[in-house]
Amino acid sequence: MRVMGSKDEGKKEVLDVAVVGLGKMGLLHSCILNVLPNVRLVAVCDKSDLIRRVGKKVFKRARLLDDIDKLADVKVDAVYVTTPIPSHFFIAKALYSKRIAPNLFVEKTLASNYDQAKEMCSLANDSGGVSMVGYMKRFGVTYQKARDLLQEQALGEVDSFDAYAYSSDFAEVKEGSGVAGARGGVLEDLGSHVVDVALWFFGDLEVESALVESVTSEGCEDSASILARGIGELKGRFSISWCKKEYRMPEFGLTVHGSNGVLRVNDDALELDLGKGGLKKWYRHDLNDNVGFLLGAPEYFREDEAFVRSMLGGAVVEPTFLTASKVDYFVEQARTRAGRK
Amino acid sequence: MSGRKPLLLVGDNPFHGISHLSQERSRTRGDTIGHADFAAGLVMLAVENGADGFMFTASETTLAILEAIRNKGTSKDLRLYPIVPYAYEYVRLATQLGGMSGLARNMAKRVIFSMNMRAMANGLNGVVRMDPAALLKTYVLYEISRIKSKAGRNARLESVLLHEIITEMALALDMDWLIKSYVDFMLKLGITPGFETRNFTYLVAKFRRWNVDFRKVVIATPFNKAGFQMNPSRLDCERALAVVPESNVVAMSILAAGYLKLPEAIEYVQTLSNLKGIVVGVSKERHARETFELLKRRQMNV
Repeated sequence: MRVMGSKDEGKKEVLDVAVVGLGKMGLLHSCILNVLPNVRLVAVCDKSDLIRRVGKKVFKRARLLDDIDKLADVKVDAVYVTTPIPSHFFIAKALYSKRIAPNLFVEKTLASNYDQAKEMCSLANDSGGVSMVGYMKRFGVTYQKARDLLQEQALGEVDSFDAYAYSSDFAEVKEGSGVAGARGGVLEDLGSHVVDVALWFFGDLEVESALVESVTSEGCEDSASILARGIGELKGRFSISWCKKEYRMPEFGLTVHGSNGVLRVNDDALELDLGKGGLKKWYRHDLNDNVGFLLGAPEYFREDEAFVRSMLGGAVVEPTFLTASKVDYFVEQARTRAGRK
Repeated sequence: MSGRKPLLLVGDNPFHGISHLSQERSRTRGDTIGHADFAAGLVMLAVENGADGFMFTASETTLAILEAIRNKGTSKDLRLYPIVPYAYEYVRLATQLGGMSGLARNMAKRVIFSMNMRAMANGLNGVVRMDPAALLKTYVLYEISRIKSKAGRNARLESVLLHEIITEMALALDMDWLIKSYVDFMLKLGITPGFETRNFTYLVAKFRRWNVDFRKVVIATPFNKAGFQMNPSRLDCERALAVVPESNVVAMSILAAGYLKLPEAIEYVQTLSNLKGIVVGVSKERHARETFELLKRRQMNV
């Protein structure tokens, strides 16, 4: 089987993959990649000397590198970029321009701004390889079922939706501590997931108005309310915050109103309320949520499996850089409308 | 269930506000369930009605519950099965302390302030050699000292289980040396090493390849009629259980996070002859009474 974007015309059954950035997400993807049958984790790259020293004990069959340029010596088919968001653009650009790998997986969000995202799309296109961004909610069984129902027009004409993304990550930090700022803003960190799901469900969206607030310290993006419009008469509202004390785990969800009824979906369940037409509810349990290896959430395994399958089989995998860049566009619009740019 | 009397344990998920069926449901339960005195009362009520012990993730919440049980003077012979680390607490801490380096500094301080000399010596060794196995031992010693100081002398620390995050990472990255080192270390301490996993089939295959003695370890993993979190499938997990009759497997999520009713949940686990125990969380006094009464009654009829 020929690997997408590879200059090697011969058949390849096993992909050599590298991971750049060994934080929480890098470790998670490394583990999953290591259990996939047609993947070999051959290199891990991290700037931290401490991480590399521990990593050498943990990744016995992979090379531990301190610089992405050194990946050129390893010969990899694909690279996972799981570093902080501001570095995505520079790392991807280096990987593409030095022809280190034609296939790239980048954790969300694709870039720090839309200009960078556009350039990354162009580079991905030129490489001829597979590109993907880690919007894992698309691989959640409840969201997949919800999208199927919307595609089947189970709700009739969709009028509006309300989307939320909440967590308690910074609900109890000291005011002015600045730790929230170190993780970027809530729009990218939390909001981007639900924005991507909305774009996947409804197509292109434009921001009409936005309010971004600082709670933990001045200048931090801690919560956001966004009004958007979509195709036709569609109206949407996003509520995003990482300062909601009662949300032990990050939670995402959408309520969609249509001419036939209401659909409610979150990570756990999906409810279709068609009024007199009846109420149906599906939990993860009802939607075949098992995977080959569960780490974190089943969505991560499906996501990595889809990326690998695409490289080996040539099928398009979503979200590509191009698809994901729409989230960057939306976030940038929200910031501009809120006067934050 | 196996012929011998199965181990019945109370779980702690409701005390942490966890619901794998619906986070919304856990939010609507209210705060009472997390109060140490109330939760301690539930644990002891479950024990009065047939539970043998308490399986919990070691956190500030559960340590307060252990202390409350001790203060009530009811901790005698309570068998403890802690799961470490409480991943949620550490991920959250890492977020608030600015990442892994902040978390590492915080952990070092905690170990030092615990004044556990053995943990400190192990930790120093681990840091100098950057040895994950030594660091894990340090951490486990620290947790054991925390648990013992709260639970008191009467409580019996039967097993310390590695949280699924650690277990799954070790499985995925072929860290047989970490697993073996942990098993040896715990056995020397006189405590049964344990593993929590949601990849039971994978674990059985790896442990057999690594020659881990299933008789000497405890494994907590989901078994339920709905196949919830039984990966890659319910059938595969049942088959894996069938090939390790000597194992000490404690079934968790038997209610599939509230998706199943207790009678049908018990009916299913009764068909699995190699299971050695069950852990169930309870959030109300009525649950504590009825759940363990029913479990005890049904098992006596096996």
